[in-house]
Amino acid sequence: MVIEALIKIAIVLFVVLTGVSYTVLVERWVCAWVQDRIGPNRVGPLGLFQPLADVLKLLLKEDIEPLMAQKWFHWVAPVISIAVAFSVLAIVPFGHVLMLGNHAIPLTIASGINIGVLYIVALTSLGVYGITLAGWSSGSKYSLLGGLRSSAQMISYELTLGLGLLSVIMLSGSLDLNTIINSQAQGLWNVVRAPLGFLLFFVSSFAETNRQPFDLPEAEPELVGGYHTEYSSMKFALFFLAEYANIITASAVMTVLFFGGWHLPFVDQLGLSSLAMTIIGVLAFALKVIGLLFVFIWVRWTVPRFRYDQLMNLGWKVLLPLGILNIILTAFEKIYLIA
Amino acid sequence: MSFTEEEVILDRPAFQEVPPRQKILDALMSKDTTVSLDEDALEHEMVLNMGPQHPATHGVLRVLLRLDGETVINAECELGYLHRGYEKLAENMTYHEFIPHTDRLDYISPVANNIAYVMAVEKLLKLEIPRRAQYIRVICAELARISSHLMAMGALAMDVGALTVFVWALREREKLYDIFDVVTGVRFTVSYMRIGGMAQDLEEQGIKMIRAFLDGLPEAIGEIAAMLHKNRIFIERTASIGIMPPDEALDMGWTGPNLRGSGIPADLRRDNPYLVYNELDFDVITRQECDVLARYMVRFEEIKQSAKIVRQCIDNLPNGDVWAHDAKKVLPRKGEIYSNMEELINDFMLVNFGQAAPLGEVYSGIEAAKGELGWYLISNGTGFPWRSKIRSPSFVNLQGLARILEGSMISDIVAIIGSIDPIMGEADK
Amino acid sequence: MSIFDILFYLFAAAIVLSAAFVSLSRNIVHAAFSLLFTFLGIAGVYVLLSADFIAVSQILIYVGGILVLIVFGVMLTNRVTNIDIRAAIRSRIPAFIICAGLLALLIAFITQAHWIRYDEEPWKKTPWGKNAVEQVTKPLQGSVREVIDQQGSQGTAAEIGKLLMSDYMLPFELLSIVLLVALIGAAMIARQEAVQKKRPLSPSLPTEVSQ
Repeated sequence: MVIEALIKIAIVLFVVLTGVSYTVLVERWVCAWVQDRIGPNRVGPLGLFQPLADVLKLLLKEDIEPLMAQKWFHWVAPVISIAVAFSVLAIVPFGHVLMLGNHAIPLTIASGINIGVLYIVALTSLGVYGITLAGWSSGSKYSLLGGLRSSAQMISYELTLGLGLLSVIMLSGSLDLNTIINSQAQGLWNVVRAPLGFLLFFVSSFAETNRQPFDLPEAEPELVGGYHTEYSSMKFALFFLAEYANIITASAVMTVLFFGGWHLPFVDQLGLSSLAMTIIGVLAFALKVIGLLFVFIWVRWTVPRFRYDQLMNLGWKVLLPLGILNIILTAFEKIYLIA
Repeated sequence: MSFTEEEVILDRPAFQEVPPRQKILDALMSKDTTVSLDEDALEHEMVLNMGPQHPATHGVLRVLLRLDGETVINAECELGYLHRGYEKLAENMTYHEFIPHTDRLDYISPVANNIAYVMAVEKLLKLEIPRRAQYIRVICAELARISSHLMAMGALAMDVGALTVFVWALREREKLYDIFDVVTGVRFTVSYMRIGGMAQDLEEQGIKMIRAFLDGLPEAIGEIAAMLHKNRIFIERTASIGIMPPDEALDMGWTGPNLRGSGIPADLRRDNPYLVYNELDFDVITRQECDVLARYMVRFEEIKQSAKIVRQCIDNLPNGDVWAHDAKKVLPRKGEIYSNMEELINDFMLVNFGQAAPLGEVYSGIEAAKGELGWYLISNGTGFPWRSKIRSPSFVNLQGLARILEGSMISDIVAIIGSIDPIMGEADK
Repeated sequence: MSIFDILFYLFAAAIVLSAAFVSLSRNIVHAAFSLLFTFLGIAGVYVLLSADFIAVSQILIYVGGILVLIVFGVMLTNRVTNIDIRAAIRSRIPAFIICAGLLALLIAFITQAHWIRYDEEPWKKTPWGKNAVEQVTKPLQGSVREVIDQQGSQGTAAEIGKLLMSDYMLPFELLSIVLLVALIGAAMIARQEAVQKKRPLSPSLPTEVSQ
């Protein structure tokens, strides 16, 4: 049981860490494609070793600690960020059950958590600490403003995130991620059943992961680098890693909640063996995550950034009422269309 | 409303102002913790130093901001971090020697600076240049304007977060650099103009490239428009911020797209035609909204107008020389120097002692991409200017920056700076 | 000593130490941050008690909500304004009396309360009414430990939801009214300032620019 979990942790960590570094590469490729450039293609074939070079460069950089920094907080902030980013992955089911002989292995690190959705919401709410702390402890006004912005932003959009989630919970009647996937496998995917909920969740995911158009905490033209202005070397790399890990996590969670997780329609009618089904499930999950990742990247290079007050207006005056409307709509749907 | 005598409570101590910090300390000392604070008690104002090293200040502009949260209470601009003393340098150079330095003023549109400078010197020397040279100068000036406006639009878009537009704008500018490479022999700091003409004639290959560029331009700026003009985020980020009312814009001495963005149709090309602008058909673009978006839109439309001008010039390009024939004022051609004694002597004299300009002073300004770029030259009869004053539009336009920054938010600051389109090389001289 | 015991003592130590730091530290920022560990430790204890929903709520509300605001307020005021906010010790005697009273109350509760132990079978005697535990684990037999060993925890979210919508409807709604009042109050306080500092209005705001 423990060994099984450890193996799963190792595999997921490996996949996600590799995924993170290659997401960075893909981001640079997509960005180059959008901007009519070539993009990284020098390190290795097609530039495939670029992530290695990046990591090596960051590792070898001098770790500069500003004079005005609060040493301990400055050190702990990136750790919080990365820990939160990765811990959400513990409950994401990346596949169905893997049968090894008679031994069934659920493809989730922490299987059997039946309040998975709440766990996700609770942990995402912790992400704000890393950024706020980084902003505060750097001893720089730009960082501080970045931290300020991010706290306000993340608190505001958590609300919408939760309201978007509620439609999923209402439709499947459970907080358990596996149950949610199963309910989608039996019916339609939640993105069809609760499009408004998906929209809300999608938008607030951008805000929670500090991606364009919600990347105000970083906003390089205004705040130079926002909360990570004063970070260098591996500490900066941790923030960088956390940002991309957050995107992957957000995509994975969205896949589970709205795109049926590992479920692909019509595959179960092919009559494949259970092992093949599991592999197809994992691949389908990975494909959906990659698709969502692409959307994240694509949006980043397309739209401008919000201003602080516009962001707040959107969050509180547009998305929040929509979120309440979403609950009402979902309730009607649940009563009259599904039941 | 009046009070009866009973209602009025007498014997109250007169109001005494207590410093806010003292108020807090008093409140902390006493048990009574309900304290009303009227002014900036907790000192929520913060002074932020933006620049001179900051990604959004377009060079080394320094803006000191007093902030309340994210709102700017007041701003102070400091210029001069890129001061290289060009005006003083000019006094120790012949008129010709200074031409390469003009490239380094507004380095986004160097050829326009060349033109502004040589036109001032030609005015001083009372030199007429051939029509073909005038047409080529108009072509170059308008290409420089397109280049500068593309940069300004791209930079504004980048400042509000649309990095892609910036790269697209740079892609178009790259084509312009290629054109300048072919036409002038240099990509960036062209030093193309000479007193009385220009370094070399515009060849067929250059014309072909310019035509190709003009053909591709509508699609290129159409892409930018498609990306930004229907984008609500961009519009809300730029509309109604950095408002400069027309009268204040005039008071501040604003010129160029910034002034036209404030609704005043002032354009030297039309109001005080130089070169061959009075023969060309173009519109002076104005916008009434006076905000960042208005200044952006003026630039956007002016690109189209410039393209129109360039096309007219290319179609009607007259034949002939691109050099004025005045041996005492205009540098002779290389081939003539090598073969003729007279030309060799003239070249020697002009290079070493400069054109002996008549005594007097002259001001000549052109409508450069950023506004009125003028040179004020005082001659004492030698080949060196006694005084060379540059009226650089960026410097003047920046004087209005502090005024329009007040009341905006931090995010607006970068957009506002971007909309004024300052080039610090020019502002600091 | 099972792994549960080890974890419990770890969490307990974290709670006690960080709570002590909260009350003893003079630096209010450090105090606010050690409160984070107190809250997390308490969440951990909830998890050990199989109270998964409360554990997550603890993190969600206290750590992710309330504490963020406390930390936010304290440290940003501290940094932006350069006013060093430190905890001062005042009113020792009333504070002592209140704390002693609270301690007495807590001790009384702890000694008086009926604690369900692992080896008990709580579903047979429910001292606080029929609904609470009986409904949760109706078909269960045996001691708590046996049940957990056999089936694992079933989760409490669904049952808490049902109870909130049935037996505890009135308190639930009352609480929401309290929260609403707090929300309105906060909005009022925030608005007063917003009215004073308005952004300068513009002549017109175009919604779309034609090419």
